[in-house]
Amino acid sequence: MIEVKNVTKKYGKFVAVDDISFEIKEGEIVGLLGPNGAGKSTTMNMLTGFIEQTSGEIIIDGYDMLKKPKKAKKEIGYMPEGVPLYADLTVKEFVKYMAEIKGIDKKERKEKVEKIIEQTGLKDVENKLTRNLSRGYKQRVSMAGALVGEPKILILDEPTVGLDPKQITEIRKLIKELGKTHTVILSSHILSEVSQICNKVIIINKGKIVAIDTPENLESKVSSNNSVYVTVEDTENKMEQIKEKIPQIETLKLIKTNEDGTKQYEITSKEDEDLRKILFSELAKENITIFEMKKVDFSLEDAFMKLIEGGKQ
Amino acid sequence: MLAVIKKEFKTYFCSPVGYVFIGLFLIMFSIFFYIDVFAYQSTNFEYIFYSGATILTFITPILTMRTIAEERKTGTEQILLTSPISITKVVLGKFIAATLIVVITELCTFMYFGILSFFGVPHITTALVTLLGFLLLAISYISFGILASSITENQIIAGVVTIGFFILTWFLPQFNSIFNNFSLINMFSKFPRGQIDIADTVTFVTFTIACILLTIIAMQRRKSVR
Repeated sequence: MIEVKNVTKKYGKFVAVDDISFEIKEGEIVGLLGPNGAGKSTTMNMLTGFIEQTSGEIIIDGYDMLKKPKKAKKEIGYMPEGVPLYADLTVKEFVKYMAEIKGIDKKERKEKVEKIIEQTGLKDVENKLTRNLSRGYKQRVSMAGALVGEPKILILDEPTVGLDPKQITEIRKLIKELGKTHTVILSSHILSEVSQICNKVIIINKGKIVAIDTPENLESKVSSNNSVYVTVEDTENKMEQIKEKIPQIETLKLIKTNEDGTKQYEITSKEDEDLRKILFSELAKENITIFEMKKVDFSLEDAFMKLIEGGKQ
Repeated sequence: MLAVIKKEFKTYFCSPVGYVFIGLFLIMFSIFFYIDVFAYQSTNFEYIFYSGATILTFITPILTMRTIAEERKTGTEQILLTSPISITKVVLGKFIAATLIVVITELCTFMYFGILSFFGVPHITTALVTLLGFLLLAISYISFGILASSITENQIIAGVVTIGFFILTWFLPQFNSIFNNFSLINMFSKFPRGQIDIADTVTFVTFTIACILLTIIAMQRRKSVR
């Protein structure tokens, strides 16, 4: 659906996007992830044809963005960062204008505009000027503008920025819904969002791609070392000796002592091995009572930090 | 392109811009009309348009300064330029919408022609030639105004550059007669005498096309340097 081949964008000597290549297949929901200034927006602006790349190729559904911009752009619905809208138009007028400049037939126009207003939940405010809308509604209007013309691809630049938690859930639901019928690319620096919505993540840092993978794989990549949190009641202070008893343990670290006298430890194994079973039986032998035991899950957050820090070195 | 024209035209009247332009022009035109008719006892419709051209020189930026600069500032150009519509159509749409406002203004000036018809016999052909000349001057002014608007995101700068350029071309002939052919307002001066000067007409049209082309090039170029 989308092919990006060796794309570079330079501003004078500054390289904003450095030789990136990736491919997005039909029906995927892809998250573009990276810290601020990593080149996410620049990449999206190039994908939508708003700016031209210095070198490389962008192919949208078989059409080269530079050679056949009209056809390529027709396949894309774009919601820019900061949701720019025409302040002097009402919601309905705006969506209608978008339908017109996207060249939708006059006969179908009215019906399609109605349908999209319905779909994005804008019916109540359709006659309000866009300047008077709250941020959440503005986001929806911008989304409606992107959806007009039934594009195959939706590109959403930071779709949840500036929304309250309820609106965020609503927009995410809407994106998930749209993902069933569209190929979606969204950018974000909120990782939990990406792991919830997307089935593929592209991590960008300093204009370079650091990783492309599924959220699950990225998580497991960093959590290769098996760590376990255990909270125990250890009246005879035997916990320090347990390391000798179980040879698989690499490190044993006291994290905190709770008010009720229990202690929490982080235990890491040498190999990729689950320690929970052996800990359970050995600690029982030593008369140490387990209050809580939990495998440490590395989140996408950790993956992200690790990958980005790795990129710096 | 029709979509852009419609939307731009509507925006002129959703915001005060359209009313301010037409209103301001008619108020000042009325004052000059009063002076001509009562102070000079003239029933000449066309000569008021010399003053009309002066007014136009100063108020054209009201129409043009926001056209592209505002889109750039608010980010709506992102919506526009990522839609499957060519830059040429966007620019032409904006140009035609602004021209339509001037045409409406010209139609309003027919009331002065009506008033004069009560007291004398104003010459309709000369009046029409004058209006044609005035329109040619207007499209040159508008196209330059849009060009100025496309090179900055600050509306004030766009406006000042526009007026600055007009005043410059107006007064340059004072320094050297070579510049006579560069002065847009001088080129207009033959029309109220009832002459359609081919050279001047061609210059107006060429200037307009050149400005529109430069605007398109300026916007196209920004794609690679933005």
